[in-house]
Amino acid sequence: MGDEQRSVNALEVRELTRAFGVRKALDAVSFDLPPRAFLSIFGPNGAGKTTLVKVLTTLLNPTSGSAKVLGLDVVSDAVEMRKRIGLISHNPLLYPDLTAEENLLFFSEMYGIEDPQGRVAELLEAVELDHRKLDLTRTFSRGMLQRLSIARALLHRPEVLFLDEPYSGLDPHAMDILDGLIAQIRDEHTFVMISHDLDKGLELCSHALILARGKIVMFEPREAIDEPVFRETYRSTVGMGVA
Amino acid sequence: MASSSMRQFRAMLRKDIVMELRTKEMLMSMGLYSLLTMVVYFVALSQAGAGFDPRDIAAGLLWLAFIFTSMLGLNRSLVHEKDQGCLEALLLSPVDRPVIFFAKAIGNLIFLLVVEALTIPVFAFLFLQGQSVDVSTVALIPLVLVAGSVGIAGVGTLLATMSVNTTGKDFVLAMLFIPLMYPLLLGAVTATAAAIIGGPEGMSLFWTGMAWVVGYDVIMLLASYGLYEFIVGA
Amino acid sequence: MKSHTTRAFIALAIGGVLTLAAFLGAFFWAGVPDFGFVRTAERTDSVRYQGPFDQEIDEARYLANFAGYDVEVVAGGETVRGDLVEADETHVTIETADGEVTVSAAEFETGRVRGSSYGRPDWGQKIFYFHVPVAEISFIVFGFAAFYSIRFIMTRRREYDIKARVSMEVTLMFVTLTMATGILWTKAAWGVWWDWEPRLTTYFIMTLLVVAYFVLRNSVEDEERRAMYAAVFSILGFIDAPISFFITRLIPSNHPVIERGGLEPPMLVSFIVAQIGMIALGYAIYQLRMGEMLLQDRIESAKTQLER
Repeated sequence: MGDEQRSVNALEVRELTRAFGVRKALDAVSFDLPPRAFLSIFGPNGAGKTTLVKVLTTLLNPTSGSAKVLGLDVVSDAVEMRKRIGLISHNPLLYPDLTAEENLLFFSEMYGIEDPQGRVAELLEAVELDHRKLDLTRTFSRGMLQRLSIARALLHRPEVLFLDEPYSGLDPHAMDILDGLIAQIRDEHTFVMISHDLDKGLELCSHALILARGKIVMFEPREAIDEPVFRETYRSTVGMGVA
Repeated sequence: MASSSMRQFRAMLRKDIVMELRTKEMLMSMGLYSLLTMVVYFVALSQAGAGFDPRDIAAGLLWLAFIFTSMLGLNRSLVHEKDQGCLEALLLSPVDRPVIFFAKAIGNLIFLLVVEALTIPVFAFLFLQGQSVDVSTVALIPLVLVAGSVGIAGVGTLLATMSVNTTGKDFVLAMLFIPLMYPLLLGAVTATAAAIIGGPEGMSLFWTGMAWVVGYDVIMLLASYGLYEFIVGA
Repeated sequence: MKSHTTRAFIALAIGGVLTLAAFLGAFFWAGVPDFGFVRTAERTDSVRYQGPFDQEIDEARYLANFAGYDVEVVAGGETVRGDLVEADETHVTIETADGEVTVSAAEFETGRVRGSSYGRPDWGQKIFYFHVPVAEISFIVFGFAAFYSIRFIMTRRREYDIKARVSMEVTLMFVTLTMATGILWTKAAWGVWWDWEPRLTTYFIMTLLVVAYFVLRNSVEDEERRAMYAAVFSILGFIDAPISFFITRLIPSNHPVIERGGLEPPMLVSFIVAQIGMIALGYAIYQLRMGEMLLQDRIESAKTQLER
């Protein structure tokens, strides 16, 4: 991570299109996101939010156009890129029949982390699951799973974190803990969050993006957002249905 | 790169084995299923009469049990990955896709071989008691078992990765699996039957069957290995 | 769109004419091959005359099959000629011009049977002009499906998925026709409806593979994933089919094989014309379905346009 890379935008999306036949999940999406920003993506179901995140996390290839994360191309530099991004989804992405510690150790191996034991212990402490580390995650509550899932996403110290509706299904207490964790790491990471919750999303973000039918309806930095107009725009897209 | 791939491969394999030893889900279901198959065989053969020689169809019955049991296990092994989106987490990590294929396939191969090793003595105990067999040729059966199971586990892992994302998982797996497995099954049954019959003629037939099974393994495993990336990423 | 329909109808017309011509040729020009030989002492109408036959017999009991035939037996140095009445291990009875003569088997030296040879016309063979072209085309179209599947995997463009799928539909049609005519022919030639014979078995497996392809397609929700899975499966199937074909030779076969130069010109010409005609018909179906698919796409995109 040299100085030149620091100056590189966290996300550079150019004319990104993801289509199969006539159906376009993403239609010529372009935007830039500076490093250490927090982007909230809003939009109705089927607007292409998940597709956008999947393309940015190398899980799907773009049909045309390009996307760069930390200056790395999502297609040609996919392997290098994967080492520097993390995903927290509404799905825990953990094995229910492994203990909390085993889960983290397993993913440490996948990322080739040095001193996995130390790193895992450190993270378990950070998410306050130290005392449950020998329990199967099958027995965990939704909130605990989500915390562990954050620990998993942070294992390899990613620079960009993708959050796919991380608050869905959490009770208020778990939400507070998640808020706290995000606040702790807010300054040194870039965040990209998909959200259905306008208030939450606006509260956290530095940039907001509304997507509808695969196209950008609005993309503005937080300080430029006129909240009533923004809310009205969002509401109007929700009625637009699936592209 | 190679050493990190090896590390990932070992971790995935160990994870599958630890999980299996903990839940015993695959081994139990496959083992019991093969036991149930034996009961069905007994019923099916109950009217065969005294002149009937079970050695003639032993090979066929064994492979029938293996093929159905393996489908059960293959489905399970991929459902684990799919359940909480773990496969997505694997795909997000810097792991080469073929490593996922090999780790899953080898895990399935191990469980399959364990179940087969348990099924054969039970089968022999239930159906082949008092039948004379040529020990020197029967001792070659493990060769067929391994060669056949390699193909089942390899192609099966690819197909199960597909079928786990379909509606009607089990049926789709069977529909894809059995026609594709037909050559392997025929070769394996031929070789196993030849080993049970024994004799010089049996030996030459055994090696013909083995050659087919190994040839099938090589071709289909290469194809599965090459195509896995597209399936797992789709 | 128009071009698809136009091409389809041109191919349909050409294919129809050629196929019809081939069938006319097959029935009225190619002639009927003989299926086994019938030897009779007298001429029969339902079979075709092949010429006289004349056979040496070295044991008395072998004459048993030739009751009623004109025979000439040498026994004890004498020659007896006449119609054979009966023959077994002990004696031979012959009706000569001078009444019945019985020769004991011990004295029998050599015998000669004379009669006529007839060919039984094999009308069942006519299915050959349909069955074989259809079977060959089904392999070719399966090949196209696999080819388009590879193209799809390389490019991920939906048009190749559509092409692969339509090719597979045509394959399904031809495979079904092959199975149906094959079963009829099996009954006509071997007297059974089904036999686990290598080619039949391979064909059965191939039918299952093609059916499985559509089962797979129907059970995947996401359109692109469906396309990818289907493409991978059709490639695997295309690799698997020839292995199935060769491995089934472990089972002994009695399926007929056409030898090089084994067909007389009228048969060969009819056969080739049938083949070209049916390729044209297959192409017509392919184009029709492609046109339909593209039309569906246009409706789909028109709908999206309207929504905006």
